[in-house]
Amino acid sequence: MSENSRRTVVIGLDGVPYGLLDELSDCGVMSNFKDLKEEGTFRVMKSSIPEVSAVSWSSIITGKNPGEHGVYGFTDMLKGFYALSFHSFSKLKASPFWQMAKDHRYVIINLPATYPAGEINGVLISGFVSPDLEGAVYPREYLNMLMHMNYKIDIDVEKSKLSKRLLFKQLHEVLNTRMRLAMHLCDEVDWDVFMLVFTGTDRLEHFLWNAYEDERHEYHEDFLGYFRAVDEAIGVINSRLSEDDLLVMLSDHGMERIEMNVNVNAFLRQEGYLHTEDDPKKGYNSIKRETKAFALDPSRIYLNKKGKYPRGSVDRNEEEDLIHELTDLFHDLKWKGKRVINEVCRKEEIYRGKYVDKAPDLILIPEKGINLRAKLFSKELFEMDELTGKHTIDDAFIYVKTFNDEKVPENPSVEDVLPIMWSLRRG
Amino acid sequence: MKVHNAEKTCWNCPAAILKGNIDFRACGQSLEAIRKRIETEGLMIECARQPDLGRFEPTITFEECPEWRLTEYGYLLENMKVMILGIDGYLGWTLALKLASLGCEVSGVDNFTRRRCVEERRSLSVVPIASMDERLEAAREILGVEINFREIDILDWQRLGRFMREVEPEAIVHYGEIPSAPYSMIDCDHAVHVQYNNVIGTLRLLFLMREIVPEASLIKLGTLGEYGSPLTGRPLFEGMFPADAVLLWGGRKWSLGGELTPRDPVSFYHVSKVQDTFNIYEACKYWWLRSYDIMQGVIYGVHTDQVAADPRLRTRLDVDEWFGTVVNRFVAQAILGMPLTVYGEGNQIRGFIALEDAMECMTRLISSPPEPGQYDVVNQVSGLYKINDLAETVATVASEKFDIEVKIQRVENPRVEADVHPFEVVSENLPNLFGFRPKVTLEEEITRMFELLTQPHIRERLRKVAHLVKPRTWWSGEKRLVETIEVYAPGTKRPSGYRPVLITGKELEVPISTPIREEIEVPLNDPPREKVKKNDADR
Repeated sequence: MSENSRRTVVIGLDGVPYGLLDELSDCGVMSNFKDLKEEGTFRVMKSSIPEVSAVSWSSIITGKNPGEHGVYGFTDMLKGFYALSFHSFSKLKASPFWQMAKDHRYVIINLPATYPAGEINGVLISGFVSPDLEGAVYPREYLNMLMHMNYKIDIDVEKSKLSKRLLFKQLHEVLNTRMRLAMHLCDEVDWDVFMLVFTGTDRLEHFLWNAYEDERHEYHEDFLGYFRAVDEAIGVINSRLSEDDLLVMLSDHGMERIEMNVNVNAFLRQEGYLHTEDDPKKGYNSIKRETKAFALDPSRIYLNKKGKYPRGSVDRNEEEDLIHELTDLFHDLKWKGKRVINEVCRKEEIYRGKYVDKAPDLILIPEKGINLRAKLFSKELFEMDELTGKHTIDDAFIYVKTFNDEKVPENPSVEDVLPIMWSLRRG
Repeated sequence: MKVHNAEKTCWNCPAAILKGNIDFRACGQSLEAIRKRIETEGLMIECARQPDLGRFEPTITFEECPEWRLTEYGYLLENMKVMILGIDGYLGWTLALKLASLGCEVSGVDNFTRRRCVEERRSLSVVPIASMDERLEAAREILGVEINFREIDILDWQRLGRFMREVEPEAIVHYGEIPSAPYSMIDCDHAVHVQYNNVIGTLRLLFLMREIVPEASLIKLGTLGEYGSPLTGRPLFEGMFPADAVLLWGGRKWSLGGELTPRDPVSFYHVSKVQDTFNIYEACKYWWLRSYDIMQGVIYGVHTDQVAADPRLRTRLDVDEWFGTVVNRFVAQAILGMPLTVYGEGNQIRGFIALEDAMECMTRLISSPPEPGQYDVVNQVSGLYKINDLAETVATVASEKFDIEVKIQRVENPRVEADVHPFEVVSENLPNLFGFRPKVTLEEEITRMFELLTQPHIRERLRKVAHLVKPRTWWSGEKRLVETIEVYAPGTKRPSGYRPVLITGKELEVPISTPIREEIEVPLNDPPREKVKKNDADR
């Protein structure tokens, strides 16, 4: 262990809003966190824009905004094509904390958006999205052990759609093996920073936010039961810490009930900005030259610029007018007489740094309860499906087991996590 | 107009490795229960050829992708790795040379079963063929291509599996079957040999593909004979009923669209091909393998540019009753001065395709792979002919171009088959989806065959197998030479039987619900020809 800094444990609870954690700890479901709350500083934290895990965790581990780390979503367009590419850790343009202080030893488990797992002084097991376990493990010698443990990166979302029974079965299985692995590595590796992210919280909230809110819901008790299990895991980890060790807990974004899903591409199509061939197999490659703008999940609007895309049609001198036109259009979009979009932001308003040119031209911030998405072929502007929870920007949380709360800003955001952690480690 | 496969995407490309799908609404991924669906949204692949691209949706078209190169047969994957099972055979060797010349990385296996089967019948390939070592050397020397050959029995799944792991083929052409109806009807041992080799070989191959190369396409040779020749004249669709087909029964009506059409095999060999069809169909359904099952017409001919480039590159040609196909037998008989033998009435109608055209079809199919889970059938024919008419055509070419006068003989039919039947074949996929147009006419290829087979050294080999051309293998199990019913001069018979109907595209289709009988529709105009020589009796 390095000298002059405290051993640090970071527990991530993916998608857990401040309010839910506050409530479940107060009502006794999460009694370990209730105790912790009394021993430390617990605050609301602002997520990234857009409020998706790939972006916010990238900000958390680098301390940078997307304009600096270059990640604006789980997807991007492959350069020179209309082919949606998925996030890869190798595309992160800023250094994560384990590359900033290489003399420390790290154990990092289930951190989203870190596939493929690369060099680290310690162990890194990537989280969602990881297309296979092989690439999600560094160093590779741990692979056999993980396979032997039947370690799963995540629940299988398609299986979870089959039944809620299968959802809970997987949630608990994944949590249990994750904890077995965590405790094993906690003992085996001589670490300085130990980071463990629970992602089942986010999956459960997506599927059953309604069960959380509704006490009579058939799965209300199961919902609470899972959070109880997560709280037990928190208790186990906390029990391993000594007085001097630092504990940080946080979420990457919050969650709330979906009132309505709004399909941004359906709107662009309806208004004549998006034209595609009727060939779902070609995905975004079905975009026709007449297209002026298209959206990527969840709320990113890109102009179909000449020179940037194969069938780009927007000239540089048209861009400004188009941005104004689209801004007005989205401001006027209504559902049941209420506005759908709270704010239409230009990239320069939100991001700063070297990679702002990679950013979407416009980012939509939805009103409460409105879930924006960018399904390309759906003709339905408004639709509901089996999911009931959606991400929120304003109510992620941060917790530090210290009363030294001057190190935690009043209104922290995900970019502040790293500075908070470094300053508290130095003690 | 764009070439046939320009708009196909990574979804069809064997280099696209499926990595699961993602549902961003639930922040979830699925690596186990990957959803099969038309939309590519959320489907994640990695390109085995360009791993630096990371993971992306499979939507780049062949036309856009730098890995696909435009050829005269459509876009072809650069250095595509094609493994040919049965590479030493009539078709396998010919295709190997063609693909290698197009820049494919060709590998192949064979255990020389075909050579042994022919030897066992005391027959031989009338076109002399080199040993595999000599063939490979000649391919290197003459065509400048390298073929990766391994002597393996496809039933030896462990060795085949090791070779597949080593090569990682992107397409597998399965020619590794014993291709003879009469051979399968000789006796129990032969029937078992054919079915075991064909059915079990293919079944093992499917399991190996699931394990080792699930992204590769399987181009499997079936036969048009799988369908039989229904006496109702019902069209022989391409494997599955079209969307608007219906079943009427007891005043009720059901759609048949998409269901497999009935198969009515006509020998134990044909049964093995039908069993393969079902096994492949299921494997595509269960495991997301992908396959084109080729219902190939009767193949004939000797020519492609590559096999004709050097005597050591020639492919085999059999004319005996077991392995000689009908046109090949007729040409041999003509050169030998034997009357051409037609079985029974001779009004059997079959689909045919010349060797060169068949190789073009294969190349086009390989260039445009099916998508994951897709099982599709193509009826690979370039023309339908009545056996009697084929005999007339061969006799005409022999007479007019080679001054060989030959008679035709009707013999007892040793097979159990209808020798007068209507025949309507749908072959729309190859012309409309793969851009295939036949290049070789029947007369042209028959002419090339005469040119080759009349060479003295081949004529000599023909004489050695002359006694094996007329059949003695009966479907009943009898073993005796068929009796000649009648010998006649070409051009002296009134056409009879049914008129073949080939449907190659919607624009050509004329609704015909009642099969047309030739004797009603076609008057006999030509007077009998005079040129009948003596000494035409069967040898």
